[in-house]
Amino acid sequence: MKVWKYIVAIWLTLVIGGGFLIYIPEIPILEQTARNIFFHVPMWMAMYAMFLTSCIYSIRYLNSPEPIFDIKAEASARVGMMFGLCGLLTGSLWARFTWGTWWTFAEPKMNLAALAMMIYVAYLVLRSAFDDEDKRAKIAAVYNIFAVTTIPFLLYVVPRQLTSLHPGADGNPAFSEITAAELRLILYPAMLGFIALSFWVYDIMHRYQSVRYKINPEQES
Amino acid sequence: MQIDSTAVVDTLTQAYSDVWAGQESLQEANAFIAFMYSNDLIYVVLGVTLIIWSVLLFFMIRVDKKVASLEEKLNSEEQ
Repeated sequence: MKVWKYIVAIWLTLVIGGGFLIYIPEIPILEQTARNIFFHVPMWMAMYAMFLTSCIYSIRYLNSPEPIFDIKAEASARVGMMFGLCGLLTGSLWARFTWGTWWTFAEPKMNLAALAMMIYVAYLVLRSAFDDEDKRAKIAAVYNIFAVTTIPFLLYVVPRQLTSLHPGADGNPAFSEITAAELRLILYPAMLGFIALSFWVYDIMHRYQSVRYKINPEQES
Repeated sequence: MQIDSTAVVDTLTQAYSDVWAGQESLQEANAFIAFMYSNDLIYVVLGVTLIIWSVLLFFMIRVDKKVASLEEKLNSEEQ
């Protein structure tokens, strides 16, 4: 196993410890759940990193149709969806105790995030519809490039036009001062750590898929 | 050595009494237990999270190594 994986393991252990132990300012309604920002938000960052990776490998596949690029595109899309699911579930639990409901249709970011997940579910469904390997890889790659372009619109552009319960989701608050400095101390390392973790899971995933492909190229993934 | 344990130890009335026999008072608890009780029990949550994280890590490292050995096997077969 490569060294960077051990660094990620130690890094994230420190992030989890720090996330629980540091002093955080008193924020009404949120109270101690403000610590969720260290774990909920990085899930989405990891998802973006994976979907971007997936898109890059889809473009590379269209440039030179080698099976490994298709395998990597699929593996990273799956890992991205896993992190997205974690983001949805943690967000839902957090919403119950701060916004008072598990799910609300008044919150655009929540619903559009679920829609983004559905777009990637469609990617996997589309893949399963083809028996011919080259055809599947090519059409899936084209769809995947379309899919990733919806992400910034669904999760940033559209929610900013509407009123949102997410702090700083409406208007144009990018890198504004609404997140307390103490929280950022853990939040940024957490984002970095979970993105690195997503690459670790993706690494295992695409290597496993490549081994499977080498043993039996005909097998559907 | 306990010779007549059933007669000596009355487990029932103690186990079903209002006070749980295993519950220590904070004064007589050792430093670790006292620490875990402090700050509204937040350290218990941290402990649970760290247990989950370490088991998950252990599992991932194992799978990673298994895939690596499979890759090695495949590569040596090809040559």
